[in-house]
Amino acid sequence: MSEPLVRVRGLSKQFGANTVLDGIDLDVARGSVAVVLGPSGSGKSTLLRTVNHLEKPDAGFVEVDGEIIGYRREGAQLRELSDRAVTRQRSRIGMVFQQFNLFPHKTALENVLEGQLAAGVRRRAAETRGRELLDRVGLADKERSYPRQMSGGQQQRVAIARALAVEPELMLFDEPTSALDPEMVGEVLGVMKDLARTGMTMIVVTHEIGFAREVADQVVFLDDGRLVEAGPPGDVLVSPTHERARAFLSAVL
Amino acid sequence: MSVDEAVRRHTLLARDGDEQLLGARLVARRKPGQWISAALALLVVAGIVKSLVTNPRYHWDVVGAFFLRPSILDGLVLTLWLTAAVLISSYLLGIVLAVMRLSTNPVLSSVSAVYIWFFRSVPPLLQLLFWFQMASLYPQISLGIPFLEPFVTIETAHLFSGLLAAFVGLTFDIAAFAAEIIRGGLVSVEAGQSEAAKALGLSKARIFWRIVLPQAMPAIIPASGNLLIGLLKGTSIVSVIAVQDLLYSVQLIYAQNYLVIPLLLVATIWYLILVTVLSTIQFFVERYYARGKGARTGFWRLWRGQLPLVPRSSPRRDVEVI
Ligand SMILES: Nc1ncnc2c1ncn2[C@@H]1O[C@H](COP(=O)(O)OP(=O)(O)O)[C@@H](O)[C@H]1O
Ligand SMILES: [Mg+2]
Repeated sequence: MSEPLVRVRGLSKQFGANTVLDGIDLDVARGSVAVVLGPSGSGKSTLLRTVNHLEKPDAGFVEVDGEIIGYRREGAQLRELSDRAVTRQRSRIGMVFQQFNLFPHKTALENVLEGQLAAGVRRRAAETRGRELLDRVGLADKERSYPRQMSGGQQQRVAIARALAVEPELMLFDEPTSALDPEMVGEVLGVMKDLARTGMTMIVVTHEIGFAREVADQVVFLDDGRLVEAGPPGDVLVSPTHERARAFLSAVL
Repeated sequence: MSVDEAVRRHTLLARDGDEQLLGARLVARRKPGQWISAALALLVVAGIVKSLVTNPRYHWDVVGAFFLRPSILDGLVLTLWLTAAVLISSYLLGIVLAVMRLSTNPVLSSVSAVYIWFFRSVPPLLQLLFWFQMASLYPQISLGIPFLEPFVTIETAHLFSGLLAAFVGLTFDIAAFAAEIIRGGLVSVEAGQSEAAKALGLSKARIFWRIVLPQAMPAIIPASGNLLIGLLKGTSIVSVIAVQDLLYSVQLIYAQNYLVIPLLLVATIWYLILVTVLSTIQFFVERYYARGKGARTGFWRLWRGQLPLVPRSSPRRDVEVI
């Protein structure tokens, strides 16, 4: 395995008395795709959200490209970074949400521009890149459409283009197809497969086992905040050793 | 498969008279209530118009003569100025207060809560009188650190003219209400929106001004329209401290010529005109912020009586009154 882009070590998170992540260790190699499986409430979203510091960990750390996310090392201490520094780190990590979370008051193109403008890209250049990206997700003709005028599948593809616009080195997908009507799942997975082929490093939470089998380099299984199974899809999906993983897979397959 | 064929195959059941039903014309239900209410409304309007026209004590000639008097126009301009100035400063203060109120910092949040509690509780007229009398409470205001030598000292007697007292008092009052309206709008925006913006690498300020606040506007504007109209009319309380606004200019004139009713009518008509203009502006602002909502927004709404002269005047299709 090549040098990992993402290293998660001893990552723990509590909400009150509820332990949501319990000592997660995970490496994601540069240019590889990790698929995260697990029952609802097992902590998958929280894991992703901790990776770009939307949630602060209670213990452990996340490192992306050698940089600890949200903190700065100072001797034996991890000091929380300023908002500005966290913002800069986040701009290198793209995220796609289950509910799309497009900005409803902005057109498809304006949605794709927003991150670039924040990063100081000139409007002209941003528009050119924005159009390229919309074209890449098959929505060149929708640049003037508002989110509510688009189907779920189209919205999610715009959301992917929006996340890609700031040229992230890591993409996080949190159940990107779970809110879609069945006939639109394929178009979004198609865009994600293309993206994986270009060598993007991706962490994908999904229940699409077919996608995991076809695209993942690594499949991990979360249960109750613990990472109980990890390995190549051929192993984890075919002969899981953990009993909960086996039960879950037989239910979704 | 055609209907005939389906009937033959017994998958559809044919009945006598189907042909006739298919050819029947649809006739809408009669709505006599609409006609009756229209007739009644017409009667009432006719009555009012007749009395307005035939009762000589309205002195419409006097109304016409004074309507564009320079002193009244000056008062009108002052009313407009004061309204605009108070609107701007109170909304700037209101935004700050709303953001403070929603802050995770308990000190900021409490300061804002206390402010809102206090200024919502004190009647604006009372506040106005207080500011006007500031000189008797604090003859001097000093700027500096308590108990140490002050940096600057100002005589309050020179500071609070009637107009400034009005500006400050109304600003503090309106800001408290604006803060609550803005806060309501801000919390109505889904948390996913700021999360998506954060994940894109937008700074806090950018998220507020470009993502959250614009989406809060549709919730903020209708209530703010009401507040603004209330403010426009509310500025008339400055007549109490002899600031020459629209109402006070009128009062000055009728104090001399005793033509009270026609001069009050002059002020009334001016306020009607101003509020009509404001409501029209509100309509267009609402339409602007409704973009992306997919709602039909066009000039035809004006025809359908949706211009919010009366808030929310549009009849809802699913509620039939009569
Ligand atoms: N902001 C929060 N506050 C309190 N509890 C939370 C919060 N976010 C998630 N949780 C809890 O953490 C657990 C894991 O949630 P989540 O990571 O969303 O799981 P998954 O994505 O696997 O369904 C759930 O029990 C959920 O109720
Ligand atoms: Mg989840």
